[in-house]
Amino acid sequence: MYNVIQLFAKFGTHILFVVLEVICFYLIINYNQSQKEIFINSSNIYSAKIGEQKAILSNFANLKRVNDSLMRENANLIENLILIEYASDNIPNSDSIYNPYSLIPATICNSTINLRNNHITLCKGSREGIKPDMGVISSSKGIIGIVRSSSSNFAHVMTLLHSQTKISCGIKSRKGHGSLVWKDTDPLRMTLESVPKHEIIAVGDTIITSGFSTMFPRGILVGKIENFKIMSGSNNYNITIKLFNDLTDVKYAYVVQNRYGSEQLNLEKEITK
Amino acid sequence: MNNTVPTNIIRFLIVFLVQVWIFKHITFSFGGFVFIHFLIYPMAILLMPIKTPRSLVLGLAFVLGLMIDMSYDSVGVHTGALVFTAYIRNVIIAFLEPYEGYNIDDVPTIKNMGIGWFISYLSVGLLLHIFLYFSLEAFSFVFIFEIFLNTISSFIVTFIVILISQFIFRTKY
Repeated sequence: MYNVIQLFAKFGTHILFVVLEVICFYLIINYNQSQKEIFINSSNIYSAKIGEQKAILSNFANLKRVNDSLMRENANLIENLILIEYASDNIPNSDSIYNPYSLIPATICNSTINLRNNHITLCKGSREGIKPDMGVISSSKGIIGIVRSSSSNFAHVMTLLHSQTKISCGIKSRKGHGSLVWKDTDPLRMTLESVPKHEIIAVGDTIITSGFSTMFPRGILVGKIENFKIMSGSNNYNITIKLFNDLTDVKYAYVVQNRYGSEQLNLEKEITK
Repeated sequence: MNNTVPTNIIRFLIVFLVQVWIFKHITFSFGGFVFIHFLIYPMAILLMPIKTPRSLVLGLAFVLGLMIDMSYDSVGVHTGALVFTAYIRNVIIAFLEPYEGYNIDDVPTIKNMGIGWFISYLSVGLLLHIFLYFSLEAFSFVFIFEIFLNTISSFIVTFIVILISQFIFRTKY
């Protein structure tokens, strides 16, 4: 008993401190919901954090697979958009799933942008159905180029930024169409030629593909009019266009497959003979 | 010596009321993340006379902490931090002991101990208190980054408020 009293005399304040702190912790844990939960699930917070990190890692590892499926999905959506563009002002076809165009998603392996004639190599080739003279469009908006040749696993694409590019384009919700060529060295600007000068156009009008060639369906967005002028003595506008897509950093592309393309070309060839 | 007890009781009550009525309602946040709280009540414990019995300081800290907790609806959090501050107070005082020791009636004020002593005493005590308060509030060191941010921002504003109050109310005891 004497020892106990001596102990209290010596360490009384320390014991009092410990007792008061224990009371405080008891109060904290019993009367505060959030601290109570943390006290009970303390280990779970750590395990949750670790699980979170693991999920981030595995998500990163799965990115390629996710990307592929997203591209497939995108291709379907763009196909539907093309279908809508045709259905809105044509007489609806009796076969409602009639769609002459289908898209093949592809990644871009190699590209040049700063030459006079620029090319892109796609990582898919004739094994996936890519053939010469198919159009290539970008994932968001805008067109990329035309397939020149294809091997079994790769395809060689002539981009818009090429001296021989000539793509038939129209002006959205106006009449008139011309051909899109690349004349200057700016990779964001192209020229639309041979739009007759009696057509009414304005700065800011949207340029879309006209659908007159077999390569691109109608209605793919290309760019907008930045300015235009009529050369003296010329009968046509000379229109500068700002492209929607930046060809210097495209990574994914869709190859447009036209089911009736060869049929149309053969027929046209017969007539011109 | 005669005025010491009433002065401390009045300060105890005024600090409690000011904390609950005014500073409880002032909080700042930057970007919804860093919060600034004014926690001036440790002042009542830290400014008690140096030779106050330690168990009395602990008991008063417990009572004041419970009073603060009741108005903050956070049972035990302020109390735990304040009891610890009251306990560590003597350690800080022993660390800062001047060469000739303390007098029996010394009080930790600017007038009595000098501004350098007072600032080091107040900053160490207050920083420990605020750090412990936010640790107990978060209750897990998973949130260590938030605890440190809260501690530093709240410490700076609280320290300034207490220092200004010391210059305005120059209490002798």
